[in-house]
Amino acid sequence: MTFLPLTVAVLVAGGAYLLCQAGMVRIVFGITLLSHAANLVLLASGVSAWRTEPLNTPGATGVADPLPMAFVLTAIVITLAVTVLMLALSLIGGDDNTYLVPETGQEHR
Amino acid sequence: MTLVWLLACLAAAPVLVVPLSSALGRRTGWVLAAYFVALAAAMIPNARTVLDGGAVEQTYSWVPALDLVYALRLDGLGLIFVMIALLIGAAVFAYSAEYLAPDRHLGFFLWMTVFALGMVGLVMADDLILVFLCWEITSLASFLLIARAGSGGEAAAGRTLLITFIGGLSLLVAVVVMIAATGTTRLSEALASPVWHDHGALTTTVAVLVAIAGFTKAAQFPFHPWLPDAMAASTPVSAYLHAAAVVKAGIYLMLRFSEAFSSVPAWNALLIVVGLFTSAMAALFALNQTDLKRLMAYSTVSQLGLITAAIGVGTPKALTAAMIHTIAHALFKSGLFMMVGVIDHQAGTRDLRRLPALRHVMPWSFATVAAGTAAMAGIPPLLGFISKEAILGSMLEAPGPAWTGQAAFAFAGAGAVLTFAYCAKILFHAFVDGEREIEAGACEASPALLAPAMLTIWAGLPLALAVGVLAGPVDQAVRAMSGKESYELALWHGVKPELIVTGLVILVGAWLVTQRARLRPRLEGDLLPFSGVGLIDRGLHRVERIGAAGTHVVGHDHPSRHVVPPMTVLTLLLGVGTIAIFAGGDVPGTVPDLWRPIDAGLLVLITLAVLGVVVSDSRLAATVFLGGVGIAVTVQLFALGAPDVGLTQLMVEVLTVIFIMLVLRGLPKRFGHLKHSRRRGPMVLAVALGLAAGGATWLLTGRRDPSAPAEYFITEGAEETGGDNLVNVILVEFRALDTLGELTVLGFAAIAIIAILATVPKRSVSEEEQHDLRPLDGTDALDDPQAAAALRDAAPNLEPMRLLLRLMVPGLVVLSAMIFWRGHNAPGGGFIAALIAAVAVSLIYLARPDDRAVGTPRLHLALIAGGVGTALATGLLGYAASAFLEPLSTYVVGIYVGTSLLFDVGVYLAVLGLVMVAFDRLGAEPVEERTDDEPALRSQP
Repeated sequence: MTFLPLTVAVLVAGGAYLLCQAGMVRIVFGITLLSHAANLVLLASGVSAWRTEPLNTPGATGVADPLPMAFVLTAIVITLAVTVLMLALSLIGGDDNTYLVPETGQEHR
Repeated sequence: MTLVWLLACLAAAPVLVVPLSSALGRRTGWVLAAYFVALAAAMIPNARTVLDGGAVEQTYSWVPALDLVYALRLDGLGLIFVMIALLIGAAVFAYSAEYLAPDRHLGFFLWMTVFALGMVGLVMADDLILVFLCWEITSLASFLLIARAGSGGEAAAGRTLLITFIGGLSLLVAVVVMIAATGTTRLSEALASPVWHDHGALTTTVAVLVAIAGFTKAAQFPFHPWLPDAMAASTPVSAYLHAAAVVKAGIYLMLRFSEAFSSVPAWNALLIVVGLFTSAMAALFALNQTDLKRLMAYSTVSQLGLITAAIGVGTPKALTAAMIHTIAHALFKSGLFMMVGVIDHQAGTRDLRRLPALRHVMPWSFATVAAGTAAMAGIPPLLGFISKEAILGSMLEAPGPAWTGQAAFAFAGAGAVLTFAYCAKILFHAFVDGEREIEAGACEASPALLAPAMLTIWAGLPLALAVGVLAGPVDQAVRAMSGKESYELALWHGVKPELIVTGLVILVGAWLVTQRARLRPRLEGDLLPFSGVGLIDRGLHRVERIGAAGTHVVGHDHPSRHVVPPMTVLTLLLGVGTIAIFAGGDVPGTVPDLWRPIDAGLLVLITLAVLGVVVSDSRLAATVFLGGVGIAVTVQLFALGAPDVGLTQLMVEVLTVIFIMLVLRGLPKRFGHLKHSRRRGPMVLAVALGLAAGGATWLLTGRRDPSAPAEYFITEGAEETGGDNLVNVILVEFRALDTLGELTVLGFAAIAIIAILATVPKRSVSEEEQHDLRPLDGTDALDDPQAAAALRDAAPNLEPMRLLLRLMVPGLVVLSAMIFWRGHNAPGGGFIAALIAAVAVSLIYLARPDDRAVGTPRLHLALIAGGVGTALATGLLGYAASAFLEPLSTYVVGIYVGTSLLFDVGVYLAVLGLVMVAFDRLGAEPVEERTDDEPALRSQP
């Protein structure tokens, strides 16, 4: 019995639904939810039974795997970059509706 | 000089021409000519070894894991081609110094030297992968040289590249099959492998692939159209690439591989038939041309056809003939190309219909072109005569029944008549027959311009008289290809069939020359209703149309079109996979105590918040719910024992919400029911993907012992690095390369934001949206005078915030520094410290009554570039110890000092740079003018 997979399921479902929407802001929200889910999956891969902080405490038992944490830390900051980039995209053009493409001087279909 | 040194010197040339060409301009050609001659001279010791029957070999390990080596090998065949590439190259560079207009010509010198490197590398490579790489270098350099010729050159360069890439692909497949079949990447070993005798079908396939590759470069039918097309390039380029080098790369390939394939019937038949057909066809087309340079191009195609046919025959005599004709052709054809340039330069045109009788003013040029065309036509006593005769004679040795040899011989003889005819056409139309008045300015070219062309063309005379000089290298080349002795080269072999044919050709040719006034008008019309170039273009258009139709299916800008297919695939993969693994049984049990009670509480909170994000129609409400999800996830991260991750998530969460708020100011209040948004499909997909992801997470995690890396980091990590915070030491030491990549992503995201918002205007708010944009301007706000006043004048409203700033900002700066410093041993580090500093920036921004930017664009770029640069420089420091990003550390007075700390500074700067860009670009420019308040607002006290 464990709850993390359920949390992941909820976050993925919400994120996937938002990703299919037309508005860029909703898509950004979807990406945020999906990245939360991905981060939890990564941490779960380090086995959630061991939760002692990996701070080189002598005699500590059940120390958590630091490697997935490093991955997740990187992922969080990259998510920030992606989020900001996509938010900038939602600011251009007449609306954040991704079906209506702003005039960029290039041809679009 | 060793082979590697030769390549290194050639590789230095493209670097050297950058300063040289800016200092010397076109005179760089003289320096390069001297350089190439010196390199050729430096190869003499190697040449001695080769002439004594040896081969010079050198190998360097390149990618040990793939067994790749820089294997170089110089034998007789390679030596001849190296010398052609270097010496003709020298002549052409000398010529270009005089021919080109006074200018820098960096591109010309750059790509010519790169080309020479590729060419010499190709003929010395003894590794199949290296052969392919050098082959492609010559293709690309040739493309760039043609493309430099302005608008006409670009299309031609594209077509050339298309054709040579067909050959490149063919060669790649051949190389891969050869490596797979023989188990070695060494060219010499692969060619000598017994595989080729044992497996007929395989050998035939590879032989045909290699032949196709050779045909594309050597401009053989049906791949020949690129060569006349490439005449758009400048004359020195044509003299080098299209006479002596690129096309000879194709010849070299076929010669080199004839060791393995010379007894494969398909190889013999293909090369002989295609070669002879190309030779005759191109000779006919050459007669048809009025542009002297295109005529030369077709004559090159024709001559290469002869060489190809001789390679196809494959006997020692035929290979000798191919070899000697390769040398002779490189000499006279590069010279003739340069002479075309001379004529063009002096007379102002190279159109045969417009040239006056130039022999009166350009006697030296006349004599030189006469010698060149005589060599091409095979008139004694020039080297072209010896080689042409040898090729004719070798046709009789064609494998198969006796009639094939006789037929090939007859066909080649008939082709020789056409060759004679177009050679006469060049000479007579350019120098003798012209009816126009000679223009006042036309005069003989300067000696410096003439000398390189004269040198290469007239070299054919002494070389023919003392052909024994070439006998040694040619003999070694033929031995390298066939293992047998070469055919004896001489001016006089006695009365043989080929001599009789040569005599007949000269007689018939001379008769044709007397009839030229009558024949000429008939020849210069269109021979065919279509052209090769036209066919290629039509084919390309068709492919482009198919491509456009294909793009139409997937080429949409809105993301949902692109995310739905992969999400569907992911759902299937995860769902079916999870069920299959579970049904297969044998799943290890879960580790006990996987959960804590807090997990359950967080699950409930997260579920509610996610529902809120999904269902709320108000953008503001959805943002609040999103923040809720973030906070709950942060708590979950802390609960999982990941304080660094949790701290980072907390900071990112705060910043993300602020950024979203900045953006929301410029957008409608509600998401609204946008058209195209369908609900049922996404909902089904979302629930299915959620279940699949949850199921997979449940099945695939929490069922194992601690991993070996985890054990290592936990037990040894701290001692190894001197840092107690294992997550931080992994980020900045063990996996610093990952972090470096991440910094670069941050930097590029920031630059992309700058670029997007600089090129595409931010949305301009339309009239009817104005009301929707300002939710607080509505009647609700007007009921409350305080709120109305706050809206009208933001400054007093922000007083408390600004007061707070004075305390908070210094505090946050100190905190940021402390968190940064302690990162190695306790939760903290560059990421978190930078995010804390970013929060300080956000406070400064929020406390401003107007939307002024916090930093300048220069500061943004300095932070990003400084961050990535610092991290990179730290990485380079690592080379001092052993490798890129290798951490160096020491204790100074008991305090830990290491390069990883410096690396963390890079992290800090880049993160801060991104955040500042986000604030200033998303928030600084007012989305709309807010000063023109509505009248209703002003009426309030």
